Amino acid sequence: MKGRLFIIGIMLLGIVLILPSAASFAKPIKVLAQFPMSGPVGSLPEFGWGFIDGMNYINAKGGVNGQAITYFVEDMRYSPTVEVANFTRYAAAEKRDEFILASGYITGGLKPLIDKVNKEERIPWLDGSYSTEVFGPGGGPSKYPYYYSLGATYGDQMRVLLNWIKEDSKGKGKVAIVYSPTEWGRDPLEVTRAHAKKIGLQIVAEEEYAYTATDATSQVTNIRKAKGDYVIYHGYSAAPTHTAIFMKTARQYLKKATLLGTHYTTGPYMILTCGKAADGMVGVSCRPQGDDLTNPMVKMSHEFADKYKRKDGIKDMFLYMEGLTYALMFHEVLTRADTAKELTREGVKKALDNLVWDYHGVFGGRGFSYKSHTIPMVRTYRCKVEKEVEQAGKKVAVGTWTPISPWINTDIELK
Amino acid sequence: MRLNEEMTDLIQTLGAGLLIGCVYGLLGLGIVIIFRASEAFNFAIGEFLVVGSFLFYIFFFDLHLPFLLALPLGLLAAGAMGAIIERLSIKPLLGRSALSMTIITLGLASVLRSSVQLIFGAHSYSFSLELPDTSLEFGSLLFPSERVWAGLLSVVTFGFILFFLFRTRWGVAIRATSESQAKAMAFGIDARFILLMVWALSSMCIAVAGVMISNFGALSFLTGIAGLRAIPVVLIGGMDSIGGALIGGLIVGLCEALVGSYIEPLGLVGFKDVAPYLLLLIVLFIRPYGLFGTVRIERV
Repeated sequence: MKGRLFIIGIMLLGIVLILPSAASFAKPIKVLAQFPMSGPVGSLPEFGWGFIDGMNYINAKGGVNGQAITYFVEDMRYSPTVEVANFTRYAAAEKRDEFILASGYITGGLKPLIDKVNKEERIPWLDGSYSTEVFGPGGGPSKYPYYYSLGATYGDQMRVLLNWIKEDSKGKGKVAIVYSPTEWGRDPLEVTRAHAKKIGLQIVAEEEYAYTATDATSQVTNIRKAKGDYVIYHGYSAAPTHTAIFMKTARQYLKKATLLGTHYTTGPYMILTCGKAADGMVGVSCRPQGDDLTNPMVKMSHEFADKYKRKDGIKDMFLYMEGLTYALMFHEVLTRADTAKELTREGVKKALDNLVWDYHGVFGGRGFSYKSHTIPMVRTYRCKVEKEVEQAGKKVAVGTWTPISPWINTDIELK
Repeated sequence: MRLNEEMTDLIQTLGAGLLIGCVYGLLGLGIVIIFRASEAFNFAIGEFLVVGSFLFYIFFFDLHLPFLLALPLGLLAAGAMGAIIERLSIKPLLGRSALSMTIITLGLASVLRSSVQLIFGAHSYSFSLELPDTSLEFGSLLFPSERVWAGLLSVVTFGFILFFLFRTRWGVAIRATSESQAKAMAFGIDARFILLMVWALSSMCIAVAGVMISNFGALSFLTGIAGLRAIPVVLIGGMDSIGGALIGGLIVGLCEALVGSYIEPLGLVGFKDVAPYLLLLIVLFIRPYGLFGTVRIERV
């Protein structure tokens, strides 16, 4: 009897000793984030820095209810092939109940992964693509239940721009669209045409503009011939040289026209590469500008950049903030899933589907619901290039993007 | 009235095509002078263009030298780069087939592209020369200043190269080497040095074109894509014809402009990029050595 009691006592003692460290026996939480940190879009390590700093901060603060997140960061080099290969590798190597959330950054990567992500793996996938085809009315949660976008679709961005044009021109604006010969460039065309027709605006020219261009004269003269006075440039970021070629040429030939752009053109790179040609441009953005320190998320990004000593290397705070917002989104949904005691792929999906959040105040305090699988928030900005100043011995254009609208929830306000 | 508008559009299109065509011609010249001297095709032309532009960038934007000083210094640096590359990668292949030299340039392109990304990064550099305004504006006709400068500087550079090749002793030596390396050496010409000089000259031509193209927009390692325009230019004009390079450049420039203005709006979107190659195919069917290339009869 004594012997039995002794054994039971030893076992109980063992359990008591083991319990506090039980968390370390819990299954690991593994996530994958992919960003375009090199390749044709340029060298953008800020994405990765923001994500890594965010994750390190989150883990230092206790991770997901006390458990650290194991994260993998990959440079997908703005290549769908690389993005697909990276994901396939992790999906094969990691256990399904541990690897529960992934992200990507390119429409071209989403498409070949449709079946893999939505049918085979059934893993929630956050993406930097704002594809109308995937996330718009023709796609969305019913068709691609595991895909989520971290912004408003390009179609919605175009609709916001068209609404602005209608208001600015009192309904008389003649719209020209210049787009890249890519899925990204062609993505919102159908929605744009339909919305222009609906609100009574005329699209007078649609010009495809290749990334191999050394000259944009034929595009801008065609727009001039068609008498376009609002030119929407879409399908390229502000960073590459052909954007500068287009902007400079357009500014000379279309002196009275207003140039407009979608999310990836609305930022400091436009001012840096195009200089005075960017003055007066109007753009929509799914994030606040990196210098808007009144915004809590922007302020947090600057504090993180200081804390983790990144400031000197950051060319564009937007990119760093973008990496950080991914880390914060990962943390939020993993924590919600864990709190609901369902820290699985399905549990994370439920947390995303039910998410109603203000995203650390990124949209000026306005919240959003993830029901549409997009973060349907955009804001309209106008660019003002003030002057050129000497910075580290170089002449650099200095300017700002000033908001000219409040944050617009496209799910609500564009209905 | 309508006819007037159409005529204005046509003149605008032709003018824009001719101005950019001059720059393409200069790129073609960079290929032709190397081909004439060694029968090698420099596939690293895009990377030469980028490196040359960055060398100029250092003198003009970083060191703040005036344009008239920065340009020759940038070109000299580009020439020196071309000479060094020739010494390191081409000279060891002397006596081997031209094909091996051509293949080396493919590898060279990779090395230079990576080096540029390593040194200058992959982001775009703002590039605005702000030269005196030479914009030509008549009614709705407009030729922006940087386009006019590009055309002018390309023609002037072309003139310099022609003068050098046809009016100087070095030029005679280069031409003699182009005819036959063995015979030139028999006459006491240092063919190895001539080859070095040819690579330096070619690098300088390409650098001028690079600076002008960067001035249209911005500069990054991706600007090198413009170098690909040289391929249809020299194949249309003739691989070994200096005049053919200029004519080929103008043809490609005009072809792009006309297709962009008159054919693409009909619904053939993206045809502008394909058209020069289509034209090239037609030319090669009719004249396999290009419009002005030397016809070679090879006995088998």
